[in-house]
Amino acid sequence: MRKPALIRSTVAVAALAAGALALGGCAADAPSGDGSTTETITIGTSLPLTGDFSQGGENTLQGYEVWKAIVNENGGLLGQQVEFNVVDDGSDQNTIVSDYNYLIGEAKVDLVLGSQSSRLNIAASAIAEREGYVYICPSCASPDMFNRGFSMIFFSQQATAAEQGTAFAEWILGLPDDQRPATAAYPALDDPFSAPVAAGVQAILEEAGIETVYSDVYPEDLTNFDTIATAVRDSGAELVVQGAQFQDGVNFVRSLNRVGYAPKILYQSSSPTYGEQYLEGVGAENAEGVFFSASYTAYADTPGNAEFLAKYHELYGDQDPPEDAADGYAAAQVLQAAVEAVGSIDDQQALADWLHSNTVQTILGPISWNADGTPNGVFLIGQWQGGTAQIVFPAEAATTDTVISTWRG
Amino acid sequence: MIAFLQALILGLLIGAVYALMASGLTLIFGVMRVVNLAHGAFAILAAFLTWTLWSALGIDPLLSIPIVVVAMFVIGWLTYQGTVRFVRGSHMSTSVLLTFGIGLLLEGIMGFIWGNRSHTARTGYTDASLQIGDMFLPVAQLISAGIAVIVIVLLWLVLSRTWQGRAIRAASVNDSAAKIVGVNAQKVSAFTFGLGIATLGAGGAMIAVIYPFVPGQHDQWIARLLAIVVLGGLGSLPGAVIGALIVGVGESMATAYIGAAWPVAIPFLVIFIVLLVRPQGIMGTRLREDAVA
Amino acid sequence: MSAMNQPLGQTWVQKATGPVLWKWIGRALLVVGAVVLVLFPLSPSMSAQNTVILALVFAISASGLNIITGYAGYLSLGQGAFLGIGAYTGAILSRAFPDVSPFAWVPIGGVVAAIFAVLLGLVTYRTRGAAFVIITIAFTLLVQFIARNWDPVTNGSTGITLPLPDWPRELGNWPFHLVLVALLAASLLMSWWIRRTKFGTGLIAIREDEGKAGTIGINAPVYKLLAFGLSTIFVGMAGAVYGYYLTYVDPIGMFAIMQSLLIVLAVILGGRGSLWGPVLGAFLLIPINDWANTVFSGGNFRLVILGALLVLLILLLPAGVLPSLEKLRDRLHTRGTVGLSGKRLDFDAAITTAPVSRPVDPDKPLLEVRGLVKSFGANRAVDGATFTVPEGSITALIGPNGSGKTTVFNLISGVMTPDAGEIVFDGKPIGRTAPWTRAHHGIGRTFQITRLFKEMTVLENVVAPLRDFEFRQLGSGAVSGAEAKRAEELLHFVGVAEYKDVPAHALSYGQQKLVELAQVLILEPKLIMLDEPAGGINPTLIERMGELIRELNRQGTTFLLVEHNMPFVLGLCDPIRVLARGAVIAEGSPDAIQKDPLVLDAYLGDDFMLEGESKTQSVPTLGEGER
Repeated sequence: MRKPALIRSTVAVAALAAGALALGGCAADAPSGDGSTTETITIGTSLPLTGDFSQGGENTLQGYEVWKAIVNENGGLLGQQVEFNVVDDGSDQNTIVSDYNYLIGEAKVDLVLGSQSSRLNIAASAIAEREGYVYICPSCASPDMFNRGFSMIFFSQQATAAEQGTAFAEWILGLPDDQRPATAAYPALDDPFSAPVAAGVQAILEEAGIETVYSDVYPEDLTNFDTIATAVRDSGAELVVQGAQFQDGVNFVRSLNRVGYAPKILYQSSSPTYGEQYLEGVGAENAEGVFFSASYTAYADTPGNAEFLAKYHELYGDQDPPEDAADGYAAAQVLQAAVEAVGSIDDQQALADWLHSNTVQTILGPISWNADGTPNGVFLIGQWQGGTAQIVFPAEAATTDTVISTWRG
Repeated sequence: MIAFLQALILGLLIGAVYALMASGLTLIFGVMRVVNLAHGAFAILAAFLTWTLWSALGIDPLLSIPIVVVAMFVIGWLTYQGTVRFVRGSHMSTSVLLTFGIGLLLEGIMGFIWGNRSHTARTGYTDASLQIGDMFLPVAQLISAGIAVIVIVLLWLVLSRTWQGRAIRAASVNDSAAKIVGVNAQKVSAFTFGLGIATLGAGGAMIAVIYPFVPGQHDQWIARLLAIVVLGGLGSLPGAVIGALIVGVGESMATAYIGAAWPVAIPFLVIFIVLLVRPQGIMGTRLREDAVA
Repeated sequence: MSAMNQPLGQTWVQKATGPVLWKWIGRALLVVGAVVLVLFPLSPSMSAQNTVILALVFAISASGLNIITGYAGYLSLGQGAFLGIGAYTGAILSRAFPDVSPFAWVPIGGVVAAIFAVLLGLVTYRTRGAAFVIITIAFTLLVQFIARNWDPVTNGSTGITLPLPDWPRELGNWPFHLVLVALLAASLLMSWWIRRTKFGTGLIAIREDEGKAGTIGINAPVYKLLAFGLSTIFVGMAGAVYGYYLTYVDPIGMFAIMQSLLIVLAVILGGRGSLWGPVLGAFLLIPINDWANTVFSGGNFRLVILGALLVLLILLLPAGVLPSLEKLRDRLHTRGTVGLSGKRLDFDAAITTAPVSRPVDPDKPLLEVRGLVKSFGANRAVDGATFTVPEGSITALIGPNGSGKTTVFNLISGVMTPDAGEIVFDGKPIGRTAPWTRAHHGIGRTFQITRLFKEMTVLENVVAPLRDFEFRQLGSGAVSGAEAKRAEELLHFVGVAEYKDVPAHALSYGQQKLVELAQVLILEPKLIMLDEPAGGINPTLIERMGELIRELNRQGTTFLLVEHNMPFVLGLCDPIRVLARGAVIAEGSPDAIQKDPLVLDAYLGDDFMLEGESKTQSVPTLGEGER
């Protein structure tokens, strides 16, 4: 009969599992890639390749892969070829904790790179800090990442969330009186990154006298923005500053259309940085004139950008690299700079010390760090113009002199 | 005033779609006392099927509803025969856990097949809306609500006019008595499960147009659908309709008047309040407590 | 484990699967396992340590869940929320008091979780089944919502970070590990203790048959509340440690339904209701979870594995690993032997003295029913029934099928509430009191289709009832001490003492009826209501039943019987009430009833001929028109 056989196999499974557990515990983590004795350097990372943040995770991975390809073509890192050990955390914190324990403890990677999204990075960086590994994260802009007194973490973009909209806010304030908006609405995604961006802009504009007529945060799983769009419409805000990640920004624009409302100026913190996906999502005419914050532009003349673009197009096709890919590349660049300057991978503390006292030239521009790991830099402000994502502020980094003054031209 | 009407109308329109989706859940519970926690996942599956038909063959999502409905019926029927059939009649927790597992399985499989990025079927009318004075009526939602009403009425007719429908109602009231009058409980249950998933499928197809969806969203949906059937009364189709409209309007009003963070609170607040104040819901009836099997 | 008739000499299979042998093997395995577990941080593998710590957290959660879901049978999909509540408590307090070690908040995490559980229990006081599960889901969502939006306290969706451990790196994970091991031990100890007390048998009774449990004096809502609170106290503490270990808590990670699911899955995999099952389940599941993630790199793969595991478990192995292994062992061990239930009952033994003696006043009605009405939809099952049961009598309630007899019983014992009418017992109106209160007042009843607690042994079934409710009592041992002795005496009295360690589901119908009677007797009731005591059993047993009833009645217990076996009734009972279409149509002595034309018309039939002698008494009868 079926049942006893099944029970027997269950017993077998249970016994095996118990045995495996015991063995797994007793076996020392198999050493692999011990740097000085083997030919490759292994970099471990956990990324959200599935789950809520999968979009960003996949893009970041592209950045890492491009970097690896370029480095290996040029002789590798310290003369050794680079390999990645990538694990999927499914956008789940508990998993990423296990993942980094696995990477550092069991797979014994030589170096680590961070994950995508503040939530995941906050949890994962604690493990790296505990184990004394330098932790460079391509996207962990939340202020809470840096208030724990960690000394081994480095954010490889130009600014944390609260500062990312500063250049835009200053431009608004610099407009002549007849063009400057008098009222503003601030809908924002309730997550550790997007909300602070909008809040940062709101603080600057409110203090200068621009009236806040709508301000609210919405949860991550909100998909229907019609009611919010209606509220924004009813408030009559001339300027809308949305702290948006990706899909929510797209949905909001679509709702604005349905509601039949167009603010004079529209700013979305992150959504417009998703390149083609954003264009397709909102439609080309709706992208026109939307401002956004970006760490990267494909048209910048920053160190390594040409190479990065070339390799990116070779591996992934003709579209512009999404911001997360560039951020991933930049993070790897930072790691590379530290390793090459120190000359070895055995002393993580030396790497950290070097980074604290030096500036790294990346495709995002020059980045240097404070003691707590926050970067010193100016975030770029971009605008979609004619189907292209241009950088408009600050002037030093601008790729065009034109600034479209109203949304949708 | 306009804002109020606007919120009300938006709520009713989306409520109609909710009603369609919840009708299957309440039907399944009514006939076989199974709380189908996989209902949300099936909805997303229907949305994916619709999206695939649209992106591969260019069929308008709302026109593909008949195809999706048939496909979902078959899927539901097969699921029943493969799994639910064996736990019919056992303790409540058994079926709850089984359907929960099925929901997870579905989520994982959908992720494998279609990936975890969000999808929508962007048709010509996705962003269009009808302007009436200061109010706007989203076209996609209008059409969906209309179709939802038609399907619910059809369902109602099937239940009250056809033999199958009567068999379903008989089995939901008294299983053993139904058997005596020639109703094959297993066949009826399989049919009901399929029917419940089929009507859900129509709702899922609409979702493909109205919202962007990801596999992981089914949690939100099941909370909402549970709230609706609890509010309306487990097992009552009219109750599901009323409950859905209330929840739809409630979510809409909450966003408009309290804050954008609050619509997600509506499902569980509804559940708490109903189960405390009037556990049988608006239209449910108390089960006879001494019913001996 | 079943007792059995042993054929001469056991086969090797039987020797190898003996219960005692396996008890010792089990203990040995436990000791080995415990040593491995406690010393685990010695392992050089950091990721294995991480897995074990996570497994410990989930084992504690599963072991707690076992109390409300395994013992009491209430499926809760909210256990993950309590883990999260503990974690948040620890995080909030450590943020408020940064100089204190987060370990100091561990006990508080447990207390806060338990408070939430008790509040939730109060909210779900009378909810059961599907509604209960749904509410636990709603609760998880509610807590997540609060965590996300109550910014001043919980820091909203940003979450709260905790400081890194402040002990030297060489100590590694030892502090976390040891605290969790201690919590697991405490949790298991509590679970074990509950199981062997009256509280535990009460919970299992609730799981097996909540309605029946009510009629034997078990106050289900209070039990549930206690169980719920106890099920979360160590879980909250584990949560506080967990949050510290992760150094970060946020609403999405801590209150995901997935977390509750993993805990439930662990309980089901290992075996709900068993002591070690949940622990085994957690230690199997967490590595599987990790493996599904790292080896195949995909959140989707993990979902498929977990979903498939849950579905397969429910369909193929619903009892879980440990109970199934135990059943297998038992089946192998008892293969080819004869169970006790086939044995003939021995009624040559004289009846020992009845348990309790009480004074009787035959003029006083012990039970009065006035104008009882109960409808089910349009069907008026009971339509103004009125009758009395004199103290010290053996009163019968007879009538055709569908006349409402069982419904009247249900109304009296409290399983249902009447739409109208009064019930007065021993001078007190009890129409609206709960079934267990009525049991405490002194009403006991049996059921037409016996309702024993199938998974418990006969002895456990008989010690389960509660004569009255005192918290102190809950902690007393169930199958030991004075209660157990009493129960054994009663089993002797009814004649099934040999079966005391047999699981109730293994008994025949007649044997179950006797056990049910013993169950009722331990309540020392003033009134015993028997629903068709002579139905479905052989003539010898029928006679025995009659003797038992007479003996008990002699000592002062009043009886109310529903019965179709007319010779039995007429030879035993006086007075008799006749119920038809929901109302009493005749009352009186057996002789009067036999001749009453209304009764003959409605029930007995014109050609009814009594074969035995009927019992006559001098109780005044009520004729027509005097009701």
